[in-house]
Amino acid sequence: MFLDLDKKDKNSIAVIDDSGNSITYGDICDFSKVFASYLPKRTLIFILSENRIGSLLGYTSSLINRIVPLILSSKTEKGLYRNLRDIYKPEYMWVPNEMVDDLNYEKIFSDFGYSLVKTGYSQKAMYDELSLLLPTSGSTGSPKLVRHSYRNIEANAYNVLRMFNLTSSEKAMAVLPMHYTMGLSVIASHLLAGATVLLSGRSLLDKGFWEMLKEATSFTGVPYSYDILMKMRFTRMDLPNLKIITQGGGKLTPEMFQALASYAHDNGKSFIPTYGQSECTARMAYLPAELALSKTCSIGVAEPGGQLSIIDNDGNETFTGEAQGEMVYRGENVTLGYATCLDDLLKGDENHGVMHTGDLARRDADGCYYIIGRLKRFLKIFGLRIGLDEIEGLVKSEFDVDCYCKGNDEKLQVLITRGDLVNEIVSFIEGKTHLFHKNIETIVVDEILRNEAGKVINQ
Amino acid sequence: MTNLEKLNNIFVEVFAIDATVLGDGFDKTSVDSWDSIHQLSLTSALEDEFDIMMDAEDILACTSYSNVKSILTKMGVLEIC
Repeated sequence: MFLDLDKKDKNSIAVIDDSGNSITYGDICDFSKVFASYLPKRTLIFILSENRIGSLLGYTSSLINRIVPLILSSKTEKGLYRNLRDIYKPEYMWVPNEMVDDLNYEKIFSDFGYSLVKTGYSQKAMYDELSLLLPTSGSTGSPKLVRHSYRNIEANAYNVLRMFNLTSSEKAMAVLPMHYTMGLSVIASHLLAGATVLLSGRSLLDKGFWEMLKEATSFTGVPYSYDILMKMRFTRMDLPNLKIITQGGGKLTPEMFQALASYAHDNGKSFIPTYGQSECTARMAYLPAELALSKTCSIGVAEPGGQLSIIDNDGNETFTGEAQGEMVYRGENVTLGYATCLDDLLKGDENHGVMHTGDLARRDADGCYYIIGRLKRFLKIFGLRIGLDEIEGLVKSEFDVDCYCKGNDEKLQVLITRGDLVNEIVSFIEGKTHLFHKNIETIVVDEILRNEAGKVINQ
Repeated sequence: MTNLEKLNNIFVEVFAIDATVLGDGFDKTSVDSWDSIHQLSLTSALEDEFDIMMDAEDILACTSYSNVKSILTKMGVLEIC
């Protein structure tokens, strides 16, 4: 069975959520049978997810029964949701009860605050090993999806389990959203370990979050999570159960990195920064805790089961020694490829276990990797992946304006050719991406110059 | 500018709203964009503007315009109103 869920202790607690309710491993297996009785075939389903037990049961039941979910945030902007629905035409959806009336589809059954609805679209053929679809960008709602195999999810869960030496006694604080690859990775790896997932949809500025954190043995966050934790002075709090703090989803500042490393060192905890991409089922590299104090901002080495290398400017690929160039990853968690249309769900493995990350990295003499830049055009702000090409496309199709996006992981800079649209465009981008308006800077220019190939040259 | 006006300006800036909508009903539940990013941006701006240091409890309690006012009153930044 998926993640060997039927081999865990039936009576041990698998998930506790914000409502205070919990489910056991036995409940997960039982519910998957109920789910299958209503939906007894392999087909495409949208899960409009929230970090709640009902949402998680939709995920596990789908995977156990070989139903293929596309997991989207229940808060996905309506236009983007419709776009995805019209492209992929899911036969079923698993949605929070509160959304059923609005969606206006036939309800099949409800449990745990979620409902199965039937859309009227017909079933489509899909590649046999296809297990799960996730958006490449949690925010811009691009129709581009990452295609995962069953093996990808299990390999990632197993690699993460080994990376953190997870046992069934862990209680993992899972606040990253389920539709986000790293959020799902926290869930899958702890379920594989037979551990307890503390699933929370709360803001880190909610009292309930802090109460739950007291029980947790590990916390996984993005850089912004740590900004909040530091602001709340969590390093001075008494959190005796917390053993591991780990981070992914972008780079920490050197100051933050060192502060977390020192905190962990002084308080007998482990600080384990990691690196990953949704194209590789979340995790790819980690810095072992004992190196945290000496290798500031390093992503460390390949996770167990994976391999990292660098291809330098001359095209030479090396696996050891000092080098700089594009980082390449090999492992069973490298996903099958992308989908941009319904027919793509029939596609097989296009990556064959090798991922050219698009990240520029340096490897030191000890074999530790450092990310120093990015070859691909996207930013990561608050852990949200912001595709620059996508934002440009959205702005240009909504407004009569030329647009070019650039920036860094703090700020999205949007060059536009019309000053009168500044406020409108900022609110538009804010609405589409959920970025905070203070992280969007507009620059009005006369013209965006492009060369013959259409590449922007003056900015 | 009075401290209350400074406070209102911070809200206007953080939430990109008109000062006229500020009042008892302006809170985390009614304002869609009131997430952790906005709340932390709000509390950081308050700390900078009024040269204060809010403790964890206060930061968590900044979930409405009225709460923020009473926290600032408690800290002696605003007159009791």
